[in-house]
Amino acid sequence: SSSNSSFSRELRDDLVHSSSHTASNKAQILTMPQFNLRDNLIKCELLKNEDQYTYLEDFSIFLGTYNVNGQAPKESLSPWLNSTVLPPDMYCIGFQELDLSKEAFFFNDTPKEMEWTNAVGRALHPDAKYALVKLVRLVGIMLIFYVKKEHAEFISVVEAETVGTGIMGRMGNKGAVAIRFLFHNSSICVVNSHLAAHIEEYERRNQDYKDICSRLQFRQLDPTQPPVTIMKHDAVLWIGDLNYRITDLDVSSVKELIDKKDFETLHRIPLLFLQFHFKDVKFMQHQAEAFTITNDGQVPCQFEFITKPNEPTYCKPWLTANPPKGFIAQGASVDVELEVFVNRSTAPKLNSGAEEIEDILVLHLERGKDYFIPVTGNYLSSCYGTSILSLCNLKEPVQEMPQETLRKLVSAEMSLGENAVSTEKPLDIPKELWMMVDHLFRNAIKQEDIFQQPGLRSEFAEIRDCLDTGIPDSLPGSNHSVAEALLLFLDALPEPVVPYSFYPQCLENCSSASQCEKIISMLPRCHENVFNYLAAFLRELLKNSASNRLDSKILATIFASLLLKSQKKQDLGEKRKTQEFFHHFLVQGPS
Amino acid sequence: MEAIVRDVTEKNGNTAALASNVMAKQYDVLFRLLLLGDSGVGKTCLLCRFTDNEFHPSHISTIGVDFKMKTLVIDGIKVRTQIWDTAGQERYQTITKQYYRRAQGIFLVYDITSERSFQHIMKWASDVDEYAPEKVQKILVGNKSDEVDKRQVATEQGVKLAKAYGMDFFETSAFTNHNITESFTRLAEQVLAANRKDLDLLRMSVNDELDLSALEEEEGLCDRMRDDQQKGCWC
Ligand SMILES: Nc1nc2c(ncn2[C@@H]2O[C@H](COP(=O)(O)OP(=O)(O)OP(=O)(O)O)[C@@H](O)[C@H]2O)c(=O)[nH]1
Ligand SMILES: [Mg+2]
Repeated sequence: SSSNSSFSRELRDDLVHSSSHTASNKAQILTMPQFNLRDNLIKCELLKNEDQYTYLEDFSIFLGTYNVNGQAPKESLSPWLNSTVLPPDMYCIGFQELDLSKEAFFFNDTPKEMEWTNAVGRALHPDAKYALVKLVRLVGIMLIFYVKKEHAEFISVVEAETVGTGIMGRMGNKGAVAIRFLFHNSSICVVNSHLAAHIEEYERRNQDYKDICSRLQFRQLDPTQPPVTIMKHDAVLWIGDLNYRITDLDVSSVKELIDKKDFETLHRIPLLFLQFHFKDVKFMQHQAEAFTITNDGQVPCQFEFITKPNEPTYCKPWLTANPPKGFIAQGASVDVELEVFVNRSTAPKLNSGAEEIEDILVLHLERGKDYFIPVTGNYLSSCYGTSILSLCNLKEPVQEMPQETLRKLVSAEMSLGENAVSTEKPLDIPKELWMMVDHLFRNAIKQEDIFQQPGLRSEFAEIRDCLDTGIPDSLPGSNHSVAEALLLFLDALPEPVVPYSFYPQCLENCSSASQCEKIISMLPRCHENVFNYLAAFLRELLKNSASNRLDSKILATIFASLLLKSQKKQDLGEKRKTQEFFHHFLVQGPS
Repeated sequence: MEAIVRDVTEKNGNTAALASNVMAKQYDVLFRLLLLGDSGVGKTCLLCRFTDNEFHPSHISTIGVDFKMKTLVIDGIKVRTQIWDTAGQERYQTITKQYYRRAQGIFLVYDITSERSFQHIMKWASDVDEYAPEKVQKILVGNKSDEVDKRQVATEQGVKLAKAYGMDFFETSAFTNHNITESFTRLAEQVLAANRKDLDLLRMSVNDELDLSALEEEEGLCDRMRDDQQKGCWC
């Protein structure tokens, strides 16, 4: 698919040339925190009279996106890229699934990059000369940006960034790449994204989209400036394989509606008091509520959620307000969304009841009152984010127990370590882990691409609930979903399977198989059990590599990053060592 | 959900007024006063009565902090008071405490029809000791003096407590406008007295019109800059 887009070039009049606030950086100005009333008034006046000191000019950008499903270019792309009468001023061409091979996935290296780039270069409009300004690629997601030679000198500050949202929200088989640049005085960001597949996975796609918006950040040349996110640009051009599908309307009526620009408008529900209660918050399950701030005054107003003293941020880490600050012109309004999301770093304390879903946001209006916005909720404890030791001491699903039990267990572990609970013999491994591995062992040992395909978010939710409540008796969901649920489980452990304290010696001894085995034998009993149990299962998987297409390298890459974690950021060399460490256990059983 | 920022105009209007007042030299000093006390004792009503001469019979609990301004003339000096109204509800107290730091004067308010609100004054006072500046001036206020039939706290109890703390004491009614101006003025006087040194400085330069206005303009500006830079209200 392709489309043309036009936007404006703004030129400063000589008169305002010396002014530091030009129209083009208004997006930044408006979001900058330190503005007093006078600045705001000046800004508003400037915006009002923008047309007096700016020239607008139209340009055309050819936007194209193509999911090539791992194929090499076979025929000319000219009918596609050369379909306009006049040569476009710019080309932004996005590809997805450029290369489906494992090399591309794990080492981000592919010959297809060159093949497709050349194919594009050959097929551009023949009536103009183009310069390749930037190319960016994440696994199979690639974006190429060409500009007509004569415009090249007006392009500046070109940056590229990528963000992965694939399996476990990190891998690069799904995600986005983006290029930002300044063209004359307009800042432009082009995004090419490949979002989660399957019709029913719209939640995950929405999630991917939000992740991309928040995690894709361009560093500024000036390191003291905060990074720039996608939406901070004058124009955002978003293309890609978005996987959203409209099923109830045929193509022609959809096109008709688009022509009429008949996009549905959102309804707002007015409520008197700002109070938010999030019911039954669960691990990795988004909940959001929105409210509207309307400035019905006569002057512009700035709002910001402010940080309470002695706290690092304006709200608890499981909460975000979007946008956290902004500027509202007179008569305008802004929708603010409050979002709750419990992840692996916030889950442990919520599970044990050491913390609760409870916060008070302080919404500060510039020079005016501060509103307090209480946010409450109840959290349903989960095996996700609960320690191996605690889980081995829990014979029932986490939510079957009073939360007090879990809290006591956790605090006992804190003080006594492994010997905390001596009355009853603990389980060898957490039953939740057993349920998932056993399920995969029985159903997925030959499953093609197991541990490489992401599961479905909706199924993950069912699997999590089943593990936490014991209902139903057996795990729901596809093999891929169970596999991802297992990875997420390992990822969420507050203390990794190989505890942090053992990590340095693992690195040191990674080349010696016997030393590695010795280290594992010294782990706390339940950690050792889990490690050996997983290694044994993975060796079984490898016996079926003809059908599941796994090899020991892939498994070592995936599992080493989950089992051997560092509290600091790992560099590539360290990562290799952890993979080498774990690799020993995949090629041979314990001697 | 919808939150209408009704006060924006008013607040920003005030700000503008503040700036122009400084330029036109319409007041001499600015003080920040703070109203504290349990939810429902009538803090918001006291403030509305004092600044706008209005009374609202219904209780719309304050969820946040807000301020209103009023200028008083004390001893020939124009005192601009910025009076901060706070949420009395217990759940917000950890946050409202952070606003004490900015105050030069504090009203400790209880409701004479609520024994409980009176007992809680102890707690409010100890929080003030902990979080407010050392020099802060305090005054005890027993509100709703019009509610004769429902009285639970005798006037003598209030007098005694105030004495123990070394504070002045007023029984007030936002409903009948009893002792409202008196209590606000008294606190402003105390704050003024406590800042005697600055006051003398002002007095000295009263004869020197030019110098004074220059000085003030600068002060006003600094004040504004500070407010703008430290986004939190608890600077
Ligand atoms: N009879 C009488 N009622 C009053 C008086 N002052 C306030 N009230 C009533 O008491 C109730 C609470 O008054 P507010 O001023 O809203 O109380 P508040 O201290 O600001 O409470 P929070 O904002 O929750 O901390 C309202 O219904 C008022 O009408 C008074 O002097 N006499
Ligand atoms: Mg109030």
